[in-house]
Amino acid sequence: MADNGKDKVTLTIDGHTVTVDKGTTVIEAAKNIGIEIPYFCWHPKLDSVGACRMCLVEIEKFPKPAVACATDVMQDMVVHTNSETIVKARRGVIEFLLLNHPLDCPTCDKGGECDLQDNVFKYGVDTSRQTFTRKRVIDEDTHTTFDDKRIGPEIIRNMNRCVTCFKCVRFNKEIAGEYDLGAYQRGADTVIDAPPGRQIANLYSGNVVEICPVGALTNTDWRYRVRVWLTKTADSISGYDADGQNIKLWYDHRQIFRATSRRNDAVDEGWICDIARYGYQYVNAEDRLTTPLIKKQGKQVESTWEEAIDLIARRFKEIKDKKGSVCIAGLAGGNQSTETIYLFNKFFRHVLHSNSVDYRLDYIDLKDGEDAAAYNSLSSAPFVIADLGKTDAVLVFASNFIKDHPIVNLWMRKAHRKNNARIFTANPVETKSADISEDELIYRPDTEAAFLAGLLHAVIDNKLYKDIDDGKAADVKGMLNPASLSEAADICGINADRIIGLARALAEAKNPYIIAGEYLNATPHRHVLANGLYNLANLLSVADGQAVIPASHANSAGAERVGLRPTIPTHLAELLAEKWGKPLPEPPGNNTSKILKGALREDIDSIFILGANPAVRYPDGPFVNAALDKLDFLVVADLFETATTAKADVVLPLAGWSEQDGSFINLEGRHQRFERALPPRRAGIKRGVEIIRKVAEALDVPLEEDDNALRRETEEVLAAWKCQPRDRNQYYPVRPPAAVEHGDYPYRLLTGNDLHHYGYLTEHCPSLMRFTSEAYLELSPRLVEKLDIAEGDLVRVESVTARLMLKAKISDFFEGEVVFIPNNFSAMPVNELISHESGGWVKIEKLDE
Amino acid sequence: MERVLFKYVDEPEQYRIDNYIKNGGYQALPRVLKELPPDELIDLVKKSGVRGRGGAGFPAGMKWGFVPKDIGRPKYLCCNADESEPGTCKDRVLMERDPHMVVEGIIIASYAIQAHTAFVYVRGEFVYPAHRMEEAIKEAYEKGYLGKNILGSGFDLDIIVHTGGGAYICGEETALLSSLEGDRGLSRIRPPFPAIKGLYASPTVVNNVETLANLPHIINRGVDWYRSHGTEKSPGTKIFSLSGNIARPGNYEVDLGTPLSYVINELGGGVPGGYKLKTIIPGGSSTPLLMPDQIDTPLDFESMAQAGSMLGSGAIIVIDERACMVWVAMKLINFYAHESCGKCTPCREGTAWLKQIISRIENGGGQTGDIELILDACKNIMGRTICPLGDAAVMPTESIIKHFRDEFAYHIEHGKCLVKTDYPFE
Amino acid sequence: MILNDATVQNIKARAARYPSRRSAILPALTAAYKQMGYLDADIYLEISRIIKIPYIEIAEAASFYTMFPKHEVGRYLIQVCHNISCSLRGADNMIEYLQSKLDIGMGETTPDNMFTLISVECLGGCSAAPMMQINEDYYEDLTRAKVDKILDELRAKAMQEEK
Repeated sequence: MADNGKDKVTLTIDGHTVTVDKGTTVIEAAKNIGIEIPYFCWHPKLDSVGACRMCLVEIEKFPKPAVACATDVMQDMVVHTNSETIVKARRGVIEFLLLNHPLDCPTCDKGGECDLQDNVFKYGVDTSRQTFTRKRVIDEDTHTTFDDKRIGPEIIRNMNRCVTCFKCVRFNKEIAGEYDLGAYQRGADTVIDAPPGRQIANLYSGNVVEICPVGALTNTDWRYRVRVWLTKTADSISGYDADGQNIKLWYDHRQIFRATSRRNDAVDEGWICDIARYGYQYVNAEDRLTTPLIKKQGKQVESTWEEAIDLIARRFKEIKDKKGSVCIAGLAGGNQSTETIYLFNKFFRHVLHSNSVDYRLDYIDLKDGEDAAAYNSLSSAPFVIADLGKTDAVLVFASNFIKDHPIVNLWMRKAHRKNNARIFTANPVETKSADISEDELIYRPDTEAAFLAGLLHAVIDNKLYKDIDDGKAADVKGMLNPASLSEAADICGINADRIIGLARALAEAKNPYIIAGEYLNATPHRHVLANGLYNLANLLSVADGQAVIPASHANSAGAERVGLRPTIPTHLAELLAEKWGKPLPEPPGNNTSKILKGALREDIDSIFILGANPAVRYPDGPFVNAALDKLDFLVVADLFETATTAKADVVLPLAGWSEQDGSFINLEGRHQRFERALPPRRAGIKRGVEIIRKVAEALDVPLEEDDNALRRETEEVLAAWKCQPRDRNQYYPVRPPAAVEHGDYPYRLLTGNDLHHYGYLTEHCPSLMRFTSEAYLELSPRLVEKLDIAEGDLVRVESVTARLMLKAKISDFFEGEVVFIPNNFSAMPVNELISHESGGWVKIEKLDE
Repeated sequence: MERVLFKYVDEPEQYRIDNYIKNGGYQALPRVLKELPPDELIDLVKKSGVRGRGGAGFPAGMKWGFVPKDIGRPKYLCCNADESEPGTCKDRVLMERDPHMVVEGIIIASYAIQAHTAFVYVRGEFVYPAHRMEEAIKEAYEKGYLGKNILGSGFDLDIIVHTGGGAYICGEETALLSSLEGDRGLSRIRPPFPAIKGLYASPTVVNNVETLANLPHIINRGVDWYRSHGTEKSPGTKIFSLSGNIARPGNYEVDLGTPLSYVINELGGGVPGGYKLKTIIPGGSSTPLLMPDQIDTPLDFESMAQAGSMLGSGAIIVIDERACMVWVAMKLINFYAHESCGKCTPCREGTAWLKQIISRIENGGGQTGDIELILDACKNIMGRTICPLGDAAVMPTESIIKHFRDEFAYHIEHGKCLVKTDYPFE
Repeated sequence: MILNDATVQNIKARAARYPSRRSAILPALTAAYKQMGYLDADIYLEISRIIKIPYIEIAEAASFYTMFPKHEVGRYLIQVCHNISCSLRGADNMIEYLQSKLDIGMGETTPDNMFTLISVECLGGCSAAPMMQINEDYYEDLTRAKVDKILDELRAKAMQEEK
């Protein structure tokens, strides 16, 4: 045998030699040379349990057959995967599994992609020796002809079909860290179920259907709708959060039937969240916009594309000529493709000559320029998802991580599981991450900046900084307000020792990460918080890609990199000018905040909104609605009628992401393409690039690039993007804003996504609506007791600007007096409660019957 | 024959520490702590050749030797008191009547592997034995034999008594550890072996109650003395639980190597009532049968293996001519099907299927081909499972059919027992 | 609260001794069973809160162990061994005897809620067969007369306690 380096092993499998890394299992080594050892319970990403016994192989010098999934290769090992003994053993396993497995194939969803079918076909025998009546698992909740039991909003279990491989519970517990699916009893009575009285409803629940080797777990989404062999697949990317989950869309000539994972070991390792899985469904919705609408005499009426485009061009030209192009602004949603956003940018700057474009529609008081230097730097940090799996300490700051970055969250859990990574969270409320957190530091509402100042004091006071001298550290301390750890601890309500503990943990770590999230982005003083994080990263000498404020949406990073914002880096401006044949327009543009303020002042007369719904999503309802109402001419292109389209003078039906080729840039800056599954069902629905081209043409400045040329150009621009390393000598002042006076409004309201929703499109996804179908007020058990409310009671939530009525929901995590309402439901515009005046402070009253 | 483990078992209140000490107890422990550093202790126990008394017969000293030193993880010792092998009732006597002997053994073993926490996993039904163990442990703490800095040696040890919930599989070491960790008691694949990665992923040694009870005697009286009992490869004494159709059922301690006939006839008084001996299950229900013409087989690991069976837990179940062997097979397979943990396919599905087939034969519904089917299913279970429970279900089944196939055939052909079993209850 | 103070204290004291809190699941179930005579989902929920282990893990573990009845049983749970050693000494007939004496079937409870009868696997009383366990106590070397006596004594004890 060959002489190997210390880390490689050479062995023989069925006469073939293979060399692999030490630590590889026999089953993986065999795969390397195309030998597929059959299995049910093995999974490349789960710890092997050797339960199904299907992968038994004969290994010379071993006393009896061994499981290939859990046997590491050894030098000069000789393996036989097809000997007479093994063939008999396999047949034995299959016979055992088929003893009670019902002959459901004709009606079972898994047909055509079932491991049991495949293995029976390959290794089984024609006849059965089972002469007893098959066992059926029935309890008071099973129903239907086939003994199905619904165990979750989407998940249906058929225990008769289960081969007890335990992959579902292993995934759910080990990877997702959830507690809503388990195995009960023992022996042949073993059952898989949610715990008594509960359901499986976690964000990753759909994975158990995909991972099940048979049809024991199915979901409502796919159930009985089509046979897998009648579908085609399109490689796609989830269009919601910024993690960039790789998915596959399965469709036939009529519609898309499901999305499954498309394992990318650098991004998702084969796990996708339910939003990525079921979120395609809005594409199929019956109530899609299909024809343009024009407001005539105060009412929106159906019209033709010619009329609509004509009107848009005419009005833009009028406004441009009368007041200047600076009066027209463009806002695009963070889930539009890179090519679309690129063209949108070009349209505004090159055709309309306006620099007032933006994609950042969730942030109030958006600041650009010097104030945002730290924020900009951290939000473009070269974060690598897979590297997070190797960390030994993480600070998750101002983020409900499972909601903000569901897949990155799994990597963090993996680091905790495999490396004992120390996880710390600092948030205004308790989150799911508590179960793996060494400490959950909950700061009082709106005291994040003080908390960060305190943390910086802790680092400096205890000399935990690296690579700077004491004098410089003292200077940095002088830039902090409050001026001491104890003051900061008082303000944010966290014991100083715990803050020091966090500082020490980060300082001691070899490979720490600092990751912020949407609670940071939701505050008006996010740039101050970014300053604090920047300082922290520099003091601790954290690597560039490891201190990050990740992008928020599927293509926020894409929008950033093609420059859809008023101020763009010089090199990018020059590149665009070169591509477009002339310099960018002169007058500086406005960002979202300034655009909306301008609209109120009537300095901005027109906005073109592409694929966004700021009327309910912008976190200051009164402000954004007043601003949009003040416009002379509002154009909105979207898939559905929304509160924003309701205000528009022209509404254009927009194609969804699955209805076109395109790309997204995820929070790593990874450029991932997605394929079109089906074109829009109605001719009246147009892609963003088509709409933009039509308007440009109508303005006599045609944008001639066809889709291929557009794609090439976009890629060239993206390729020129440079991540700026952090300036290790640069530190920023951290000065918290003045506290908001909230007098009679004692409770701080947070908003964001419901666990199973994202943005405003998921309301049109039936599967996600099965999890949560309406807004609610989430409160802690303590607050519920204080207010004398019960689960499901109707409550009135009131701020200085508005009041809403909704049902109360008792939180699984919250402990204090911060409350939450999700902002995904059109019937409940939460942003009305939040405004500059209210600061998000509310009062809550139980409504009497 | 000298009684070693049972020397004081009939003394009233031997379970009290004062009596235990009066009768020579807690002398081995101080000696070990003072004179025998762990490595030497392990060597000594290896030399003594004491083998596991729970059923597997693995040399205890060798098992201890597998525990890695200096790996920055705590070590654990588990005393396996889950005695659930049908026919076996010996560990319970030790725990009830001479618990300090077991405790002293636990402390010695823990010291050998440098474990500072030891567990006694007692089956849940043994409320009284567990209680006796807890009392003894309490007394030991009070006298300074447990806790911090035992007898000034610098060695700390805590013992926790952990009671089970009625699961035979939790006597299998990996399932025991799963159960101790708070999971369902499922077996785990080996490797990794518990000595390397056991409880809480740390090195763990699991020893049977009786094995541990031997230790104080080995220390006190030395290797040579110990090896003067028993045989070359199976030294020492063993407690045999004698049950079934026997005049004097009970627990008997004899030297290993003693002929089975001595225990059954001299000590047990033979089969009473004038009935003929039909067969013997020699080592607990998981072992193949011995026939009457094998009754002189010596009771040691090698001889039993050579005779086609196993020493096992030492539970000798004597069966007379009144027993229908299909009925016996059914009783046994019911047990294994009930106790299967359910993790691996052959045991989970196989034992349930065997139960169905054998039950139907017993109940008069046997079909042609059932015997061959049983034997073929057995072949697909034997050696194919995660833990020995699958083998334990198969070995007696195969053995019963091998020796009493005619009874099965009769059942299938005639739909009733060849031998009508009706053991009276008076 | 279903579990009383003594039980809760017992659970907490035992839980504190283990290197890992999850190991406290089985002792907690045992303590709860000792007080209640059975286990169910409400008890798992309480245990979950007491030892701070997820509810599902309590439920899963409890479901594995057949020693704990999962619904209320009579005052005395009679568990008769039906395994081989006891059967060779008449356990099958003893079971029939008990059924007819108590006038209930296997798994059933007498109308006065005094006795529940079940048969179980080997209890480790093989050399003193036939035998049974009633609640925490073993009764061995049984004969008809002994069984009668035991049942009478238990009934009397129950009457006494009720006063």
